[in-house]
Amino acid sequence: MRSLAWIVALAAVAALAVVPFTLSPVIVQFGISTLLLAVLAQGWNIIGGFTGYASFGNSVFYGLGTYGTAVAMVKFELPFWLGLAIGAVVAVAFALLLGLPVLRLRGHYFAITTLALSEAVAAIIANLDITGRNTGLILPLIRGDTMFYELSLGLVVLATLTVLWLSRSRFGFGLIAIREREDAAEVMGIPTTLYKTLAFGLAALFSALAGGIHAYWITFIDPASAFDISLNVRMIIMAVFGGAGTVVGPVIGALMLSGVAEVLASYITGVASLFFGLVIIAAVVFTPRGVIDAVRKLPRRGLAYFLDTVRETRL
Amino acid sequence: MLALQVLANGILLGGLYAVVALGLALVWGVLDIINLAHGAFIMLGGYIAYYLFTGLGLDPFASLPLVMAAMFVLGYLIQWGLLNFLVRAPMFNMLLVTFGIDVVLTYLAQLLFSADLRTIRPAYAGSNFQLLGVTIPWANLMAFAVAMLLTGLLALFLQRQRWGRAIRATAQNLGAARLHGVPPRFAYALTFGIGAALAGGAGTLYGVVAQLTPYVGVPLTAKSFAIAIIGGLDNPLGVIVGGMVLGLAEAFGSLWLGPTYRDAVSLGLLVMVLIVRPTGILGRTA
Repeated sequence: MRSLAWIVALAAVAALAVVPFTLSPVIVQFGISTLLLAVLAQGWNIIGGFTGYASFGNSVFYGLGTYGTAVAMVKFELPFWLGLAIGAVVAVAFALLLGLPVLRLRGHYFAITTLALSEAVAAIIANLDITGRNTGLILPLIRGDTMFYELSLGLVVLATLTVLWLSRSRFGFGLIAIREREDAAEVMGIPTTLYKTLAFGLAALFSALAGGIHAYWITFIDPASAFDISLNVRMIIMAVFGGAGTVVGPVIGALMLSGVAEVLASYITGVASLFFGLVIIAAVVFTPRGVIDAVRKLPRRGLAYFLDTVRETRL
Repeated sequence: MLALQVLANGILLGGLYAVVALGLALVWGVLDIINLAHGAFIMLGGYIAYYLFTGLGLDPFASLPLVMAAMFVLGYLIQWGLLNFLVRAPMFNMLLVTFGIDVVLTYLAQLLFSADLRTIRPAYAGSNFQLLGVTIPWANLMAFAVAMLLTGLLALFLQRQRWGRAIRATAQNLGAARLHGVPPRFAYALTFGIGAALAGGAGTLYGVVAQLTPYVGVPLTAKSFAIAIIGGLDNPLGVIVGGMVLGLAEAFGSLWLGPTYRDAVSLGLLVMVLIVRPTGILGRTA
């Protein structure tokens, strides 16, 4: 059973890897943005799904990765790889420094503070000369959708392997214990502050790398697009839809929801956002534990699965 | 003199902010639900009042109870038919569903009401009076008075009325409230309905003193958060403190730092309060 799961996963990655060589450029471009969203959803999964802290600040890390890469490339004329690393370092350092005061807050309070912080950082970036103020930065142009696609796919695999490690390591179990009951975890001897801060840093790392790749691919960035709160909402939706706290759920959620959104946008342009809202509501009501859980249990329990999950979460 | 005028503007704005946040703070404090569609409810209430005014010529202060009743029914039905099914699911699910409601309502508003700017302008809209050299618009003063009235009525209801006490009991201990004969599904729907009704009232007042678009929802939700946190959730009167702090901070922030920093002031304030005093200014210390 376990080896079967590995074979399926390898086949899926191989199938995704050949997409740029077989399918049309439009699909490859859609693939790049979808894979980067999958990385973001997986990054959110580390702090939100495993640790239970509903971060609305992951878009800050994404934005810092975006700007770190762009500033390094445009203002200091460094190569892309170095810029990507600089962006990641800045974001992780920010997460570790910020994590200490902010991760003391719990539940909704944490969510709101991270939300406010992302607005504040965006305002600062929009007032700095080195970041090009409100007008943003233009990166050197490069043609290479295949390269960006494979890079994004590699990042998805890396993020997913990290989460797989979390799901079986002492560190990951510590995070789950924090999610389930933080006081109890502390009593059990888990260094909660250290673990939470590290999880925040890990989430920041993947978000920043996704931001850096996106910046170089899209070649134009400005504060509004780099620090977009709705991006944060989307990564949460994708992670929760697929299954927060599972290993492949966030990736599957990202692929499915991006697909649905793309189809809706191309066939019924006018009402796409309405349907997107309705899809979110229906998905959360009927599969509150994520698609992964539903797929695993549906064959055995049939439609009774939906009734049971609704009964479990109902008041 | 300028400082006095800015002070008056800040207080009037603060009163409006208090009622803008009131419903969100009630639902958050009692049900532990953060309603991301709260701002969309305010927007919807504003449009209902706008169409009652342009269609039937109903004065916004007269149509306020009607708008609140309509929004109560909507809120009651949303909680009863949808959100009650998610109360015991993880916290993110509720955030996502209310976000979905926000998307749907914003879209429908854009479709039905168009994206044009709308303001409810009764005959007295432009008139004002002078007090100690300070100009005070009548409409803003009346909106302020109604905002204070609604906040006070909610506090009285929660304190004295049978169902108000049932709501507070539910907030304190669901199991114990149930044992004392409070039907939880009804108590939840009632609370969410009242929250939506207050949003509708806030929307009516907002439509009188500011401009409505289908997109005012999200920024109003964000401000409501800030106000609820600054004031604390234990006491409905906390929103008056939170609203005043935010209103004055924004008024003086735009005076001293320039209007571009207006939102940065409120956000900075929010983060500071959260880090220094997470239970709010009026809140009990944990």
